Amino acid sequence: MATTTITKTEKLVGKRIRRREDPRLITGTATYVDDIKMPGMLYAAILRSPHAAAKIRSIDISKAKALKGVHAVFVGEDTKDAGAVPCAASLPGLRVPHHNVLAIDRVYLVGHPVAVVVATDRYIARDGAELIEVDYEVESAVADPEKALAPGAHAVHPQWPDNVAFNFHQEGGDVAKAFAEADVIVKQRIVSQRLIPNSMETRGVVADWRAADRTMNLYTSTQAPHLVRSLVAQILGLEENRFRVVAPEVGGGFGAKIQTYAEEILLAWISMKLQKPVKWIESRRENFTCTIHGRGHVDFYEIAAKRDGTILGIKLKLIQDLGAYFTILTPGIPTLSVLMMPGLYRTPNISADIVGAFTNCSPTDAYRGAGRPEATHGIERMVDMLAAELKMDPAEIRLKNFVRNEEFPFPTATGLVYDTGDYSAPLKKAMDMADYDKLRKEQAEARKQGRYMGIGLCAYGEICAFGPSPATPAGGWESATVKIEPSGQVTVLTGISPHGQGEETTFAQITGDELGVGIDDVLVLHGDTSMVPYGIGTFGSRSTAVGGTALYYALQDLKAKVKKFGAMLLESEDVTLAGGKCTDNKTGKSVGFKEIAAAAYRAMKLPPNTEPGLVATHFWEPSNFTFPFGAHLVVTEVNGETGDVAIKRYIAVDDCGNILNPLIVDGQVHGGVAQGIGQALWEQAVYDDNGQLVTGEFMDYTMPRAHMMPWIESAHTVTPTPVNPLGVKGVGEAGTIGASPAVVNSVVDALSTLGVKHLDMPLTPEKLWKLISAGRQA
Amino acid sequence: MKISGSYFLPLPPEQAYQRLQDPEILAGAMPGCESLDKIGEDEYRMKMKMALASLSGNFDGKVRITEQSPPNSFKLMVEGSGKVGFMKGEGLLKFTPKDTGTEVSYEGDVQVGGTIAAVGQRLIDGTAKMMIKRFFDKVAA
Repeated sequence: MATTTITKTEKLVGKRIRRREDPRLITGTATYVDDIKMPGMLYAAILRSPHAAAKIRSIDISKAKALKGVHAVFVGEDTKDAGAVPCAASLPGLRVPHHNVLAIDRVYLVGHPVAVVVATDRYIARDGAELIEVDYEVESAVADPEKALAPGAHAVHPQWPDNVAFNFHQEGGDVAKAFAEADVIVKQRIVSQRLIPNSMETRGVVADWRAADRTMNLYTSTQAPHLVRSLVAQILGLEENRFRVVAPEVGGGFGAKIQTYAEEILLAWISMKLQKPVKWIESRRENFTCTIHGRGHVDFYEIAAKRDGTILGIKLKLIQDLGAYFTILTPGIPTLSVLMMPGLYRTPNISADIVGAFTNCSPTDAYRGAGRPEATHGIERMVDMLAAELKMDPAEIRLKNFVRNEEFPFPTATGLVYDTGDYSAPLKKAMDMADYDKLRKEQAEARKQGRYMGIGLCAYGEICAFGPSPATPAGGWESATVKIEPSGQVTVLTGISPHGQGEETTFAQITGDELGVGIDDVLVLHGDTSMVPYGIGTFGSRSTAVGGTALYYALQDLKAKVKKFGAMLLESEDVTLAGGKCTDNKTGKSVGFKEIAAAAYRAMKLPPNTEPGLVATHFWEPSNFTFPFGAHLVVTEVNGETGDVAIKRYIAVDDCGNILNPLIVDGQVHGGVAQGIGQALWEQAVYDDNGQLVTGEFMDYTMPRAHMMPWIESAHTVTPTPVNPLGVKGVGEAGTIGASPAVVNSVVDALSTLGVKHLDMPLTPEKLWKLISAGRQA
Repeated sequence: MKISGSYFLPLPPEQAYQRLQDPEILAGAMPGCESLDKIGEDEYRMKMKMALASLSGNFDGKVRITEQSPPNSFKLMVEGSGKVGFMKGEGLLKFTPKDTGTEVSYEGDVQVGGTIAAVGQRLIDGTAKMMIKRFFDKVAA
């Protein structure tokens, strides 16, 4: 009878382990793109259009060229062979504008690149750019998607005078019947305003062409280095195996660095022209106008229900402000909103129409949540409005309509299959934490005193772990390679490209547990296409759920091989790998991990049918998305004299499946909530009627700051997903998705005594003060 | 951005009207104006230095006077561009006798673009009012 020797080991997964990437970040020793310096490197500065719409009559570059230190000046005509900025999203009948890397004969947004100056340093390059004289014939512009769709509006692209990029319709069930049978129908126009993503590090590129080897090295602040490589190599006609993209330390992305931008193509092209390494670093002001924006919805919702609160159907007309041209996912983002339309509710009847509108503005694309925050904001506002109409408690109406536990896997009216869930659990937990009934009594008391206290709920769901390849524009699998070095240390190469999500830590935890080694023996590398076989990148809360699973399977392959070598050395057939050694289950004898690794490479003797070395690669294709969920509960009080919103309590109960590292999950929730509160209360990209961005710096664009944040009471329920063996769902975007409706519902609740039924974001003090003042007079 | 206002000049309308079209007076009164050269009938090339918030820069531009109806009204158009962006203004000036002088009222539209718009938009309203007041103060002096 075999006896099992139990080795006492502590699991790494599930522990609050501090991020191993932090020491270099907080000591300033990380290498960002701007830290890269090369001998003979030149600097590029880009001259951008001050007009939102204009014809270019002429460009005079003579003065710039004559400036000492300027090596070259290029305009649109020169770069015609450099191709167009790529868009990977496709829809039936989609109109795709050709966006050259530099404007050719006209500009259609403020910040449109017009010319580039390359000089010995960045200051000369900028001075040079200021010496370029461009003669513009200015045209009127349109900066508002609803105005863009009105008859007679300025055409952003003359070939499409109606400014319509596409129409998209999706429906499920029988909406007409649902609305015909309804006792009550609530309608509301809801705006999800344009936002400006701001990561701490702006974008930046260094391109280094080596003609003798036909090799391109491109260093760029990106979330998807392999995607950049494939696209830029294709656009410039270069060989992909000789094109290396490195994402060094990346100081945040939030979706704004998934795209392949004009500057990445342009810099590679310049380096080839000049046979020199070239650097461009985006200024903060360029970041405001030239990097993608997020959101930008005008939604017209209708929700039909029975008197008892049962939701029968939802209709949506969605106007998406696309901006002037497309980046990688621009037209695809609102289709994600449609997929997420039903939220966590059972309703089988859905109808949605999207109109994609061109405007003379920056393109919109994925920004933390990408389509799901807009959809969640819509459904969660509508459910609250429905509850108010039916005089029901907002918690009760949600609990009544949630998909029930026994209904999973649940097919939605929009064609998704929700994997697993217990939707009432986080809501009930949040209500318990808040002592909901007592809160409502406190609210009644506050109202008697004339105070504006509100309680807001949001029960959100999201689509994560992007995704099955057929459902994504560029593949949705992920890869991992694990190497056990001859010395026994473990190197992980992952196809994801973390830039703040902490996978250097969580992936080391997974690896440590699977191979039975310490976390310090594991190094996680990423973001270099010459090192990693291939990868899709980091976005859509996919890194751990998809990349971590690829790693898990690679580790299973490797573990089997390590055990074979261990068994060979122990002359046993029944071994366990744990605690940094391989142990014979019969005799209790063991051999250390390092000895096994050395033996696998020394290869004096090999197990049967086994090759030397300890390397395994696994490409994993998910069978479905994952669908995390949660509930946020927010208590606010609005100051009647100033209109200022004070968040008294912020309770976030998130269910992201199994939790690998609670510290990192909390960090993701906190950051996400900060961005969601930012949208709810302060942030807004404002263009004037001429297409000038008037919120073009931090003085005018209110980014949330640490002192503006409430204390976040974070808790979890755990419903593992069956989609991957780790049981993880993803949590990168959860906070953002839950926060905006919870905060707005809370403020609407606070001001409902003044007859307020709906408010559009951002809920600035000015907006609320005006409303309260008017309400008091009435 | 819409602007409007009025200013009292202690001169009869005919003189006020004339003074406000005199290139030398205009050059001396326009804040930041460094030169004003006639390039056509009622059309001038202007160089000016403008400061707004943390920005300052040189502007090259044009001043044009149209729709003359002495001594009642004329239209003034100013446009300029420089490294920090561009500005464009158009205003109708009306002259009405009041007491011993003239009330000059103006109504117009100001557009700015480029960096000035992104950075200084909040201050444009106040700055424009201040500049207009300085302009009239100098014309009156």
